[in-house]
Amino acid sequence: MHALILILILCLSAFLQDDPYVQDRERMVRTQIEMRGIKDQAALSSMKKVQRHLFVPKDLRDNAYDDRPLPIGYGQTISQPFIVAYMTEIIRPNKNSKMLEIGTGSGYQAAVLAEIISDVYTIEIITELSNSSEKRLKELSYKNVYVKNADGYYGWKEHAPFDAIIVTAASEYIPPPLIEQLKDGGRMIIPVGSPFQTQMLMLVEKKDGKVTTKSLMPVIFVPFKRSK
Amino acid sequence: MNYFGLNIKKISVAIFLLSISIIAYQLLLIHIFSITQWYHFAFMVISVALLGFGAAGSFIALFKNRLIANVPWLIPFSMLISGLLQCSAIFISQLSFARFDSYLIFADYSQFINLIITYLIFFLPFFFGAISIGLSFIIYIDQIGKLYFSNLIGSGLGGITALILYSIFLPEEISSLISLLPIISALILFPNNYKRIFTLIFILSIAVSVFFFINPSALKKSEFKSISKTLNLIDAKVVFTKNSPYGLIEVVSSPVLRYSQGLSLAYQKEVPQSKAIFLNGDWFGSIVKTNKGKNGFLHYTTTALPYAMKEKESVLILNAGSGIETAQAISYNANRITAVEQNGIIISLMKNEFAEDSDSLYHHKNLTIRNIDSRTFLQADTNKYDLITLPYTNSFGGGVGLYALQEQYLLTVDSFEEMFDHLESEGVISVSSWIDYPFRNPLKILSTIVEMLHKKKISDYKNHITAVKSWGTITFVVKKSPLNSEEIVKIRSFSDSLMFDPIILPDISESERTKYNSMQDEKFFEYIDEILSGHRSRFYDEYDFNIKPANDDQPYFSQFLKWKSLSYLKDIYGIRNAPFLEIGYLLVIITLIQIIIIAFVLIILPLFKTDLKGNGKLKTLLYFGAIGLGYMFVEIIFIQRFILYFGNIIYAAAAVISSMLICSGVGSYLSSKIKGSKRNLIFICGSIFTVLISYKFLLTPVLQSTIGFEFFLKAVIAFLLIAVPSFLMGMPFPIGLKIISAENKSLAAWAWGINGSSSVASSVLVVVLALEFGFATVILIAALSYFTAALTKVSFSAFSRRYNL
Repeated sequence: MHALILILILCLSAFLQDDPYVQDRERMVRTQIEMRGIKDQAALSSMKKVQRHLFVPKDLRDNAYDDRPLPIGYGQTISQPFIVAYMTEIIRPNKNSKMLEIGTGSGYQAAVLAEIISDVYTIEIITELSNSSEKRLKELSYKNVYVKNADGYYGWKEHAPFDAIIVTAASEYIPPPLIEQLKDGGRMIIPVGSPFQTQMLMLVEKKDGKVTTKSLMPVIFVPFKRSK
Repeated sequence: MNYFGLNIKKISVAIFLLSISIIAYQLLLIHIFSITQWYHFAFMVISVALLGFGAAGSFIALFKNRLIANVPWLIPFSMLISGLLQCSAIFISQLSFARFDSYLIFADYSQFINLIITYLIFFLPFFFGAISIGLSFIIYIDQIGKLYFSNLIGSGLGGITALILYSIFLPEEISSLISLLPIISALILFPNNYKRIFTLIFILSIAVSVFFFINPSALKKSEFKSISKTLNLIDAKVVFTKNSPYGLIEVVSSPVLRYSQGLSLAYQKEVPQSKAIFLNGDWFGSIVKTNKGKNGFLHYTTTALPYAMKEKESVLILNAGSGIETAQAISYNANRITAVEQNGIIISLMKNEFAEDSDSLYHHKNLTIRNIDSRTFLQADTNKYDLITLPYTNSFGGGVGLYALQEQYLLTVDSFEEMFDHLESEGVISVSSWIDYPFRNPLKILSTIVEMLHKKKISDYKNHITAVKSWGTITFVVKKSPLNSEEIVKIRSFSDSLMFDPIILPDISESERTKYNSMQDEKFFEYIDEILSGHRSRFYDEYDFNIKPANDDQPYFSQFLKWKSLSYLKDIYGIRNAPFLEIGYLLVIITLIQIIIIAFVLIILPLFKTDLKGNGKLKTLLYFGAIGLGYMFVEIIFIQRFILYFGNIIYAAAAVISSMLICSGVGSYLSSKIKGSKRNLIFICGSIFTVLISYKFLLTPVLQSTIGFEFFLKAVIAFLLIAVPSFLMGMPFPIGLKIISAENKSLAAWAWGINGSSSVASSVLVVVLALEFGFATVILIAALSYFTAALTKVSFSAFSRRYNL
């Protein structure tokens, strides 16, 4: 009898739950992120919380927690979960940080950051993606994320300097305005490399006016299954 | 002479036209696949399609009697079908059920089904075309020399036709025009008793071709091609399109498109907007403003290193492209600048349509532009320079393996030796690259420089080489005389002011190498030191990638793949990224395996259904396989050697293919007057063997010693060198076919199929052999192929005696 009640409760809770991907998400964080060496607790708990499936096209929701990027339209992708976690850890976010993201995409990286820090400024060059991500982030009640539709090359001068800058679109150079808008002691992470080939994820640090870089890991634009 | 009412003259004309269309169509498909997809997959698809010839041979051998009974309508009908398929295949292949994307093949396995459908779609036009040629050969076997002549001459003109069409029409329009030729061939051969039906079909077929010409199906490029990604940028649009034998050139503009490879972190100004040039959908270069003056961004890249060491009076820029290095030389006030670029369309664009976008860069008073291959220029030029500079090696295609199979004569040790000889006593060579990971391009550049110095009897490498790296790029400078202390000071000062790190200097310290830009994997520096040490041969063997320098005999700079590196790359990037990695060579092996399997299924298996006698099969296979292989090997070798000689890959290939086929056609024609005896066959194959063996030793020296001659004289020399073996090589096929057909016509059809399939397989095999052993070995194997063909003479001589041929 006792066991029957327990089963009933479990069934009911599953039925009433509005997020059917909780377990997928926890598995994603455990197997794809923690096991690959990401230790930052803030990044881990944020990625457990943010519902990644709401940031991908509806027909790909069941793949949202796969270990790969997914297409979001306009030739763009939502990054692989590990890359989002890795970039978040590298910039060392804390609750007082002010950050700039270049390349909002679907808004997922901004949402992950918004769970950790006070203000996230994010710029998207493709108007349709900018509008849809702004709407999505509003619907999900992220009040500390500010979206702008513009060319990310120029950064967001009005809100500079930033404690950290995350660039998600690959570049063959590091835009000078972004270095300028980086606070002294700040960190920027950016994928750089030869046009249209493999890129290197690069950490740029500014300290006492001196700028240094460290190449971290190779990244590549991953082909994805075409949505039918 | 008539056979079932088919006239030999009419058949010759029809085969001539059909052969033009088949070769032109084949070249068009390579062109289109290179634009929409990826060259290596074009190679895979087309090699399978060409096996349509082998399949047709087997098909005729199997159903000979029924087919021959229907030749009056079957030959024109097959030509008609081939024509209709030629004009519609591209359209069909782009329909959603068939559309295949080579970049997705490792991510979406359902693409394999699309690949097989694509194979089939492009196999059929060749199969039907081959059926009509094969049947004609069989029924007119006694006139085979003349028919083969038409076939070869038509094929030879097919290449030239394609080049002419590329210059006038867009790729999607060309297939309709080409398809008219087989349709007209069919019209020529219409049998009188079916005239009404065929006239109706002919009119309908022409209407279909005209429809596809007026409404060509737009070529859908893979969304993973670099142009597709660029067109996703804000307000991005194609502002210029021109098709040419070099490929489809497109220029894209967008207000957010900027160019500045490897820009220094010290640069504080605006990075200028630029337009991007794409060749076959791949990034080729950017059109940027000259940016005169010291603050231009071109002074803030590692490529500025040679100018920081000392002022340059005379600069030679090789593979100048859209002129980035030229703009840099102008901004440093070089007085005598020579820019060498092979692609005349690019030069024309920079001089005319986009002159304003580049501040009239290519009209600068200090600049001389030479429209020729860089290596050919070097071999003929006698001037000396303060600086010789090359573009980023990655822009040659290195780093992703896409160009692993492309001969890059500019990046060989021999080429660097020639550059070194063109330097003034204090002159330098400068070559740059992105620092790829795993490390390949920078290491291979350094190994090439070190081997060059070694050949020049210079052993203190560190006194002649310097290198500076930024956060992502590295520039190597090699100096003819040892670096002096003043230059070393300037290199350090340049690096410090631009936040770069010196990597190679006579007195380098470890901390200097990472002062501004550190690396997660600092083994890079160990590798650099290994190459500079006396243990570099051991290091080449042990390193995960092929970084051994390329030479003229194996000019494959971008072939980095070693078999052991495959699993390494898979671990780093994952299998889905395979199309972006070093798998060009791997795909050639896959292509070869698939050809061998398909050829086996199409050619060997059908034998079990025929009544052919045992001994003849093996000798037929050996003879026709060997002459097919030998012919293709010689053709490829000639193309490779004449690229350097003429300095233009497109025209060299067209000239070689056309000259060879036409000379072979003449040989074939004359062979009909030669008795198919044992003695004659021994003499012909033996002569080819002798000529090819002599070419192994003489061809390269003759070409090298005459490369500086006037174009006309060079053309005559080239034609004579090609004509002698080609003329002879046109004979063994028709004579051999005539002899065996006397015994069994099925065997003749099958032999023709073997010859076709062997040629296709050889075109892939030759790439593997050239990569592994070099061209000298390839020419030796070609000679041995004809020797092998001669050895099979015994069976033919028996036939000759038996049938009194």
